[in-house]
Amino acid sequence: MNSDVSLTPLSEARAGSLLSVERLEGNEAVCRRLREVGFCEKAEILLLSHRGQLICQVCGTRLALSQQLAKKIWVKSHQLSS
Amino acid sequence: MNRSKYYAVVGNPNSGKTTLFNALTGLRQKVGNYPGVTVEKKAGFFIGQHGEKIELLDLPGSYSLSAHAPDERVTRDVLLGLRNDTPRPERILCVIDASHLERNLYFITQVLELGLPTIVALNMVDLAQAQGRRVNVEKLSQELGVPVIPSQATRKETLLPLKLALSRAEIERSSWSPQLPATLLRAIDGIAAIWPHHEEHSLEPDPLLRMKSLLLLAAPAEDMMLLAEEMNAGKALNIALAQRMMLDRDLPSWREVLVARRYERITTLCQAVQGEGKMTSYSTTHYLDEILTHPCWGWLAFLGIMGLMFLSIFVIASYPMSWIETLFELSSDFIKELMPSGDLRDLFVDGILAGIGGVVTFLPQILILFFFIGLLEETGYMARAAFLMDRVMNKVGLHGKSFIPLLSSYACAIPGIMATRTIENSNDRLVTILVAPLMSCSARLPVYTLMITALFPGNSISIWFKGTIMMGLYLLGTLAALAFAWLFKTTMFPGEHSIFLMELPPYRMPSMSHILLQMIQRASLFLKRAGTVILGISILLWFLVSFPKSSSSSSRESSKSHFYEEVTVTSQKADQLEHSYAGYLGHLIEPIIAPLGFDWKIGIGLIAAQAAREVFISTLAIIYHVQHDEENPSSLSTTLLKETRSTGAPVYTPLTCLSILIFFVLSMQCMSTLAVVRRETNSLRWPLFQFCYMSGAAYLASLLVYQGGMLLGFH
Ligand SMILES: Nc1nc2c(ncn2[C@@H]2O[C@H](COP(=O)(O)OP(=O)(O)OP(=O)(O)O)[C@@H](O)[C@H]2O)c(=O)[nH]1
Ligand SMILES: [Mg+2]
Repeated sequence: MNSDVSLTPLSEARAGSLLSVERLEGNEAVCRRLREVGFCEKAEILLLSHRGQLICQVCGTRLALSQQLAKKIWVKSHQLSS
Repeated sequence: MNRSKYYAVVGNPNSGKTTLFNALTGLRQKVGNYPGVTVEKKAGFFIGQHGEKIELLDLPGSYSLSAHAPDERVTRDVLLGLRNDTPRPERILCVIDASHLERNLYFITQVLELGLPTIVALNMVDLAQAQGRRVNVEKLSQELGVPVIPSQATRKETLLPLKLALSRAEIERSSWSPQLPATLLRAIDGIAAIWPHHEEHSLEPDPLLRMKSLLLLAAPAEDMMLLAEEMNAGKALNIALAQRMMLDRDLPSWREVLVARRYERITTLCQAVQGEGKMTSYSTTHYLDEILTHPCWGWLAFLGIMGLMFLSIFVIASYPMSWIETLFELSSDFIKELMPSGDLRDLFVDGILAGIGGVVTFLPQILILFFFIGLLEETGYMARAAFLMDRVMNKVGLHGKSFIPLLSSYACAIPGIMATRTIENSNDRLVTILVAPLMSCSARLPVYTLMITALFPGNSISIWFKGTIMMGLYLLGTLAALAFAWLFKTTMFPGEHSIFLMELPPYRMPSMSHILLQMIQRASLFLKRAGTVILGISILLWFLVSFPKSSSSSSRESSKSHFYEEVTVTSQKADQLEHSYAGYLGHLIEPIIAPLGFDWKIGIGLIAAQAAREVFISTLAIIYHVQHDEENPSSLSTTLLKETRSTGAPVYTPLTCLSILIFFVLSMQCMSTLAVVRRETNSLRWPLFQFCYMSGAAYLASLLVYQGGMLLGFH
């Protein structure tokens, strides 16, 4: 598994990619909510679908979130070994 | 020994708490396959193995003790003992969804840290097994330090071990901790030490105070004051503020560490008890979502489902409805045979049977509506509908989560308004509450159906077309809700944007017994209403239309023989109605409603409908029964078409029917909804505002339709 070092917001990641959360933006309340549902720094997430809104697999469950919210989550992508 | 035991049932949303609660207590609280079904606490009990009473308190699901939405706050407040109406639980029953262990453990470990005797029910073991995730129960119990009992809440026979555990006299307390860095621990202890508490002598701050301190420390700055007040923090607030400044200096990433440490321990724990999960295996749910959340196919499916729902309400229900109608006609004939004529018989036939029959006829429609809503809730489609609608809701300033309460309001606005408790942002929640009653509820169904039948009499127009008109009315209500949401959002709360974040539960095969049960519950509620409220109003109305007696109404015995006399009797009866108390009331408001095309009899109906919308139907049924020759009863819709104004022109012209329909789509005619809005917003202002804006909009829209129609040459 080789990893790409550059950070992108989750809103620009491709569907099907395995990502790790690196940094959160936004106010305290939003960050706390995001962390507590599993978008915590260093957490591994899988972006399942990305058509306007996003669906991610986080902590084993499917979470839906809006594009605006996804802009606040900065991720690093891992190459998915098939 | 036989002291009763009191457990709070807590866990993540959709983990099966209410299913378990129902299975244990025999109660029938609402369950459904989407997060946020339960939004209020509910107590129940069962008798334990030693004959003692075991009380359970079902609570709304929660993701974290930080409590971001009002429903989560209910749970937090009960657990922390902040509510005056509920004692703090002595013991806790945690419900975990075994197929989503990692997500569930975040909240559960927070609860364990409260240091109360706790039992963990590892629920949905069937689903975990189906996914090939066998959970090592002993290991999990060891790691958490409390008993863990596998269960499958949907099958009562699997619950015996759990019942035995709940009956135990002594239960372990957990010593689980997220192992925070020393700096953070010092900060928390520092706050807890100052916290005002009752047991003066305890040296070690107790777990409850530490949890309160932790919550206060980690709260967003803008919420700290309020939270401190709610938790009676006293001077501890100042310490918390000071500690935050110190942490910002010594450990700038402390907010992240606070959550990350917990997750790190949970991840290790999960790997130990169930091995590493496969991240990339796509499930059936994934493939279904690829279609149902697709911007094109998803919308087609959504519109298809909604269309099917409203069409079948109209088309399928029409058969059983005609049977019920016949049944009521037969029984009214039967009573006429049985009883001597007189006021008592009139009360039975014209008042009670006509009034109740008018409403009960619509039972099949209501059952079909609830069948569909039950299907949407049980399969997990609700959350997908919210997901799809997020984009539309964004345009009006709300987000997808608001759509679930709106969709529930198709059944009834009251549960819809309760369901807004899952919305985090309080302004979004208020706007959703304000517009929820614009979604056409089941009480409007009878009015819609009757008016559509009067609009297109006979069989000239296909029933499918009438069904489409009905769909149009639902659409109109929905569009009005969205338009007013936009208006309120842009004028009252401009420039605000809230976040959309929602769990999509896995799809499940709907359990038909659940849906049937809900339909039966609904039906009995509806019939109970018919037997109480509508019966009462029907009797009252019959008196109001039959008294005071006008002088010449004693000649009814001879009415059968002569056609000429029959006509006189009818006009005498009309005269009687005109001069009754109800007639007086109707004439009083006639000038206000005449511009909408309504006559004074419709006016009586509108006044009565203020109690509940379906009363409009029973009122019309009573009025026309009293007024007309009762020897050959015909269905209400045919009677309506024969109605004429004093000028001889028919009352129920297509334009009047349309005007009535528009009025009912928009107007606020439900006292119980207003009472719930008052309770949920904790003010009189909002229900009053809601009543005014909805009634105003209804009046204006009907006025526009009727007068506009007249100008265009319709009548
Ligand atoms: N297969 C399976 N399904 C279950 C089990 N327990 C509950 N369910 C289903 O899971 C769904 C959610 O159940 P609820 O009891 O409403 O969940 P809850 O925890 O009360 O949810 P909230 O009130 O939203 O917090 C329902 O569709 C249940 O039928 C179980 O053990 N096995
Ligand atoms: Mg529940």
